[in-house]
Amino acid sequence: MTFSGFGTLGVVQSNYTQADFIATVSQPRGVGYSRSWSGTLDSDLGGQANIMLSDELTGVVQVLSRDTADGNFKPTVEWASLKYDFTPDFAVRVGRILLPTYEHADIRNVGYSLPWVRVPVEITYASTATHSDGVDVMYRIRTGAVTQNMQLQFGTTELDLPGLDFTLNRAHIALFSDTLQYGNASLHLLYQQTDPAQNPPGRLRMLGMGFAYEPGPWFVSADSNRTQNGYFGDLVAWYVSAGMRLGHFSPYAFYSAMHQQSIGTSALTKLGNQHTVAAGVRWDFVRNFDLKLQAEQVTIESLDDPASFGNLQPGARAGDKDHVVSLTLDFLF
Amino acid sequence: MQFASHIKISALGALILALLLAASARAEEIVVIVNPASPPLSKDQIADIYLARINTWTPIDQAVGSLIYTEFYKRATGRDAAQVKAIWSKILFTGRGVPPKQLLGSDAVKKAVAANPRAVGYIEKSAVDDSVKVVPLG
Repeated sequence: MTFSGFGTLGVVQSNYTQADFIATVSQPRGVGYSRSWSGTLDSDLGGQANIMLSDELTGVVQVLSRDTADGNFKPTVEWASLKYDFTPDFAVRVGRILLPTYEHADIRNVGYSLPWVRVPVEITYASTATHSDGVDVMYRIRTGAVTQNMQLQFGTTELDLPGLDFTLNRAHIALFSDTLQYGNASLHLLYQQTDPAQNPPGRLRMLGMGFAYEPGPWFVSADSNRTQNGYFGDLVAWYVSAGMRLGHFSPYAFYSAMHQQSIGTSALTKLGNQHTVAAGVRWDFVRNFDLKLQAEQVTIESLDDPASFGNLQPGARAGDKDHVVSLTLDFLF
Repeated sequence: MQFASHIKISALGALILALLLAASARAEEIVVIVNPASPPLSKDQIADIYLARINTWTPIDQAVGSLIYTEFYKRATGRDAAQVKAIWSKILFTGRGVPPKQLLGSDAVKKAVAANPRAVGYIEKSAVDDSVKVVPLG
């Protein structure tokens, strides 16, 4: 049995007074309207135990503490699964399994493994579920120099849909993802189908496509998804990101946006609409630690629950810009 | 004064040259090894194995942060220790695997590779013997 863990200590600051900037869509309070700075948005602590029962059978348990919808740091079990390797390329997992809905989704809380302070919020907007309880099958195929990692997952999850007064429990999720790796380049394809117990909103279908090229001295990535739903209409989110390594420093920048593309029965026309321009730098100052400083400008394009905001006040206007500065210390142990 | 600064520059030049020579000499001494019964590996395959892109092999590490560790990853994958740590922590915290086992010193790595047809390791060239097969590293 081995133990390991990760954590982030972060502060976020904003001078915008007409809404709260939040780090994940399920956070009830952020910075801006409620307070000008906070240490709770990005801070988290996770611990993991890996248990090796035999060469083929392994277990993982991960407990995470972070500021969630409840507004407290009550630890939750993110991961609790058994994995059986039938061959090195074919494995089945049973239990609570993280969802790879978008690039970095399954490590969104491991700041050290991310190039930015946090995954761009827009891409996470339409799928707030982080894990599902069920089963998944992982299969790997090599064709020449291309390796495909396929994952088929079925399970149930608790789902917090943003912008609504109700919460949906025990939604069924079916997911297929395929990551094609060719040397330093990778292409990520995803289909996720979410069936909440209630209608509306009814079934959500998500198609995702991401790309990354990381030769070492520099890195670029892009990710996108399109969510189709009869109630909310179609939502599209995407980002492009680039960065480079200069010794222990890794400066980076990204542009991220989300827009509603078509209208559903809810008659919302601009759900989540916003865009973000961000720049930052990561400093690997000592082994297993990094510091990141990130500045971003988020433009609110509509008052229909812009993705990065909560607690919208009557003075908020479409076109308002929020300038946010974040400083985080990430660590592994 | 001019003479003195000239000496200083020459001394600095000599130091840089010595460091460069030392670095290249050290770099040349690392070789990748597999079991004699194993098929050969390409440089791309070695990078894929040590960056967790394929798991049909069992990579073995030397002490994280040691000179040979740092130099090996730089040459085989073009990445520094922090980048490698970020990649393996992703594998670890998504439940897909655990980072390579660390063994202290080339003799321990050689023994492990000689005992396992799926193992891959890296050692100083001077430590190579008949118990393992050398794979050229580019």
